[in-house]
Amino acid sequence: MELKYTHSELMAVSGARELKDGEIVAVGLGLPVVASFLAKMTHAPDMTILFELGIIDPEPVHCGVGLADPRVWHRAKVMSSFVDILGSILHKGRVDVGFLGGLETDQYGNLNTTLVGDPRGKFRHMVGSGGANDIASAAKRTIIIIRHDARKLKETIAFVTSPGYVEGGESRAKAGLAGGPSRVITDKAIFGFDEETKKMRLLSIHPGSTLEDVLGTMGFAPVVPKEVPFTEPPTEEQLRLIRTSIDPGRMYMG
Amino acid sequence: MNKLATLKEAVASIPSGSHVSLSGFPITRCAMAFAREVIRQGIGDLTVSQCVGAMDTDLLVGGGAVKRLIYGGGSLDRFGRLACVNRGIENKTLQADEYSSLSVAFRFLAGSLGQPFIPIRSLKGSDLIRQIKEKSAGDVATIADPFTGEEWLVLKPLLPDVSVVQVQVADQEGNSWIVGPRWDNVEQAKAASRTIIIAERVVPTEVIRQNPERTVIPGIFVSHVVAQPFAAHPTSVYREYDYDARAIEDYVKAQETPETFRRYLDEFVFDCDDHWEYLEKFGGLKHLETLRADAVLGY
Repeated sequence: MELKYTHSELMAVSGARELKDGEIVAVGLGLPVVASFLAKMTHAPDMTILFELGIIDPEPVHCGVGLADPRVWHRAKVMSSFVDILGSILHKGRVDVGFLGGLETDQYGNLNTTLVGDPRGKFRHMVGSGGANDIASAAKRTIIIIRHDARKLKETIAFVTSPGYVEGGESRAKAGLAGGPSRVITDKAIFGFDEETKKMRLLSIHPGSTLEDVLGTMGFAPVVPKEVPFTEPPTEEQLRLIRTSIDPGRMYMG
Repeated sequence: MNKLATLKEAVASIPSGSHVSLSGFPITRCAMAFAREVIRQGIGDLTVSQCVGAMDTDLLVGGGAVKRLIYGGGSLDRFGRLACVNRGIENKTLQADEYSSLSVAFRFLAGSLGQPFIPIRSLKGSDLIRQIKEKSAGDVATIADPFTGEEWLVLKPLLPDVSVVQVQVADQEGNSWIVGPRWDNVEQAKAASRTIIIAERVVPTEVIRQNPERTVIPGIFVSHVVAQPFAAHPTSVYREYDYDARAIEDYVKAQETPETFRRYLDEFVFDCDDHWEYLEKFGGLKHLETLRADAVLGY
């Protein structure tokens, strides 16, 4: 089956579809930025985008190398501080959606951005939390974007940097945390979470993938309903916006 | 009061073993000239704190000046990792207390307000808090909200001996303007016993008085003001100059092994008497002008 779009484009479009107009969204860099700008340029013009270091609603005209690049702060409505964004907005309870990526996640949506193991059993230290733990702890819901790979979707992850549903069931609430992950978007499928067990549950499979492929390339067995639909493909308008306006240099959409 | 000092004088005021907070955020407004001078003067055993670990911290760790780091993780954005920090953690020569951005920001905030502790929703249910309890149990605790009885994780304030903040504009008293986002800088300056300001430009106090609402760090917190253009190179200073991509890429290559990093230090730290000589290594003004920020875009 020949696709007229890339996996990254479908992931960004699927992320954008999860965002509602008027919501406040805390965003890391990469695909979540593309998804958020796409939502804002299509169905969610009154959505508000936050970057942890003190940026509200930027309108970049150039791609940046990360949150520390002034290119991604361009035309912001506010330039302030961590205490302002992660404190007065996130910690106060005003962030509707947190968008997170990671090195590894497990069936409860716990995320690791701290350590990766190598084949000799040694661990390499990586980027760590930044604002990810804060967002996973205090946003009303989080959306995880991660590559579909058995080394990334694992039974046990090396380090819980940002908590999902911890050990499932009521354990997140018992740890004193509200919210939790609502979606996991990979390049093969979209998952939600079972209401009671809080285990990952397959919601849709991307066109071009099969159930066997999805299940065979992950390190745990998600809940699989009897009928699993295909993910809705991107519209031509969404692809046009990504390619000509949001990421013309294909920095995120490689 | 006139607090103008040379970078050498300001750095010499910091004893080994001090707790220093730094203003950088991955590759922007990093206290780079400061870090190079600390290494040159052989100051060591520092505790460094910063919400998101940046290039200034990585250089100080690579230069052997740091024994303990309190931070929320960090990187050099797409250029690379904090490889010197990570190597220190992996070979256990560096004690790294790793939090999240907000938990370090709240520890600075509590320090800035003179509060005994600060409650936070973050860290719960994660391996971060488990690790902090193992390494630095005295910095976190759990208490019951006296009004509702709800259980809260609380953090100890951070009280640096000195905060070092790279800014765009200051006067000789240290009244400082930070243009663009300020991340943790204002809280860390106010939490510290004193602040060293490294300013791209020092202006007459009359300029400050004409736009006082721009002053985010009042001079009363400041012990030294250092006027030093391009002091954040190779990182960016918003509305002044862009990051120097090639110089950061060269740094990332140098991070690979302790030996290659040693050669980097020899060339860019020990072989330069001061910041001016360092800048000449890159071609001086002719090269630096290519990094000048566009007046409209700010980068």
